[in-house]
Amino acid sequence: MIKKIIEVNGLVKEYKQLRAVDGLSFDVYEKEIIGLLGPNGSGKSTTINSILSLLKYSEGSIKIFGKEMKPDAYDIKREIGVIFQEVAVFEELTVYDNIDYFCGLYIKDKKQRKHYVEDAINLVGIGDYKKFYPKQLSGGLLRRLNIACGIAHKPKLIFFDEPTVAVDPQSRNNILEGIKKLRDDGATILYTTHYMEEVEQICDRIIIIDKGKIIASGTSDSLKKLAKVGEKITVEIYKLNDSIIEEIKGLKHVINVTYDSNLMVVSYDGGKNNIADMIDFLRNNEISYNKIYSERPTLNDVFLEITGKELRD
Amino acid sequence: MFIHNFKYSLLLLLKNKQLIFWTLAFPLIMCVLFNMAFSDVTEKTGKSDPVNIAVINDDDFKSNSIYKDTLKTLGEGDDRVFNIKYVSSDKAKKLLEDDEIAGYLSVNGDDVKVTVNSTGIDETIFCYVIDEIKSDSSVIKDIGESKIEHEIKNGNMNIDYEKIYNDVSRKVLKSDVSIKNNSSDNMSDFVIEYYSLIAMACMYSGILSMTLINYKLANITSVGKRTSISPAKKGGMLLGSLSAAFLVQLFGLLLLYLMMIFYVGVDFGNNLPMIILISILGSISGLTLGIAVAVFFKMGENAKTTALIGIVMAGCFLSGMMGITMKNVIDKSIPILNRINPVAMITDGLYALYYYDSMDRFIINAVSLIIFSAVMLIISWRGLRRQRYDSI
Repeated sequence: MIKKIIEVNGLVKEYKQLRAVDGLSFDVYEKEIIGLLGPNGSGKSTTINSILSLLKYSEGSIKIFGKEMKPDAYDIKREIGVIFQEVAVFEELTVYDNIDYFCGLYIKDKKQRKHYVEDAINLVGIGDYKKFYPKQLSGGLLRRLNIACGIAHKPKLIFFDEPTVAVDPQSRNNILEGIKKLRDDGATILYTTHYMEEVEQICDRIIIIDKGKIIASGTSDSLKKLAKVGEKITVEIYKLNDSIIEEIKGLKHVINVTYDSNLMVVSYDGGKNNIADMIDFLRNNEISYNKIYSERPTLNDVFLEITGKELRD
Repeated sequence: MFIHNFKYSLLLLLKNKQLIFWTLAFPLIMCVLFNMAFSDVTEKTGKSDPVNIAVINDDDFKSNSIYKDTLKTLGEGDDRVFNIKYVSSDKAKKLLEDDEIAGYLSVNGDDVKVTVNSTGIDETIFCYVIDEIKSDSSVIKDIGESKIEHEIKNGNMNIDYEKIYNDVSRKVLKSDVSIKNNSSDNMSDFVIEYYSLIAMACMYSGILSMTLINYKLANITSVGKRTSISPAKKGGMLLGSLSAAFLVQLFGLLLLYLMMIFYVGVDFGNNLPMIILISILGSISGLTLGIAVAVFFKMGENAKTTALIGIVMAGCFLSGMMGITMKNVIDKSIPILNRINPVAMITDGLYALYYYDSMDRFIINAVSLIIFSAVMLIISWRGLRRQRYDSI
């Protein structure tokens, strides 16, 4: 039987008039990476801070490793690592000292700690910067240091709260690879982001939240099946008459057509060889085009269909 | 956990340039500035070349024993401060016009007026000394009253009031005469500026504790969040951090004392152990004030530092750092202000060491500092122990 690591039941968090988290319930299982996906202000960080007992919450219960999570649940805290959205390091300490300090809050044995700190440095790839101070690091390296500080003590449960905000693509990939390695090494991970590509890339399960409520959850594939759109074809065309757009709307399986900034996007609810049919249609109507490509539905399409707005709004 | 936090807190403090400036460098800079400001005056008054002044020798002056006796003392002997001419009002004006005197003094009831023509060193000394006598008159009254009270408590019903006030006057005024007196019994009144400097340095320890406490509060700093979710118990962490802050503070005080003793030439005499004791208590008060500011001021780190420095500087101002008379003005008009002002407690404690025979007033100030620290800790305790927040 798969072990439940986090159990959240009916979590409600209110800020005066605002209900930031509205009856959230979900479980996180051992050794999975679960993605908490939602636009900015959807309640992701509030959920994490409530789970960590940093925030008072109005209703609900939270269990971690089968025990109630409380501020003085030191045995649970010992097994938790957190990477906050904002970089949480000391400007006055070197890379090595920062990691050693935070690791020291969990690991007392000096020898063991030294070993752990080196492991964390290697995992995030900042071995060449051990003696650097945070202000000497680039944004990407700083994020990696932030992660190293949160995971050096080898926690069994790790919270990543938007760890890749303002990070260059190379560092982002490095971070995502590191997270997968942590899971492979046995950690359970709760990952929040508003970047759908990231959750698709690393998460085993995804929970999409908006306005503090879960609006959909499941694997990436199962969520995409919720979308009416089965395929999207994008064509770059310099001139397009309204009559042609109307004609395209009448084609088989087409559910929507948009034309903006020389890009025509045709949404299909299914069908086969749609791209070939589109090329034939354009040729038959003597419409010249620059490029044409097909896409599968994204989580953003799912979110768009359920909430009527973009994930990155 | 204590050692781990102590070690890293020490590193954090020593590598923070802003903190080092305010707690270690700033008091030393002030010490140098004070020395530069007072050196001309002390040299002038402590050596030859007494200042030529005149006093309007009318009935009002003759009936004011404090001014009469003090000026008499200041105008006698080889180390006199003034060459005094006792003249009529017209003659005094004439002497001033002819530049034969730096200024003249006129007494009209309680109204004591100094008239000078320019703003040179001699004129400054003249004004300063008269200001001092004004201040001393309240000190004499204060000490005299406490001595009389003491005599009554001891059952002495034949009190010689005049003798008591004369003794006190002599003692207080003697210290005015010896502006840079190196004896162990007396201290210059300029040294009260250094008392305030010691007090300021003590209270600046608040910046150290405030910074370290901020690092432990999840609603103030991001590292506070990280620290709060760790299994480390707050008590051990705080103790380690505050011990580090205290050590840095003691080091800063040591530098200040070395500077004052060896560079400025201040002789603290036999009272050095008591001065160190009140400095330690003052530093603890500063640390606890810093904790309270960290817990109660819901603002950014820099804003908190500014607020704390503002509080300390206001305390220094009220205790007489920027003008000795301010302390007496506050003591007279709003005494409660200096009773809750830790800077005033420290300066007054130091002051008491040199002006009072008994240790009562020193002990009262020392105990007041302990109470102040306890109150600060008690009101901060809930905030320090707080583990869950309404918002972060």
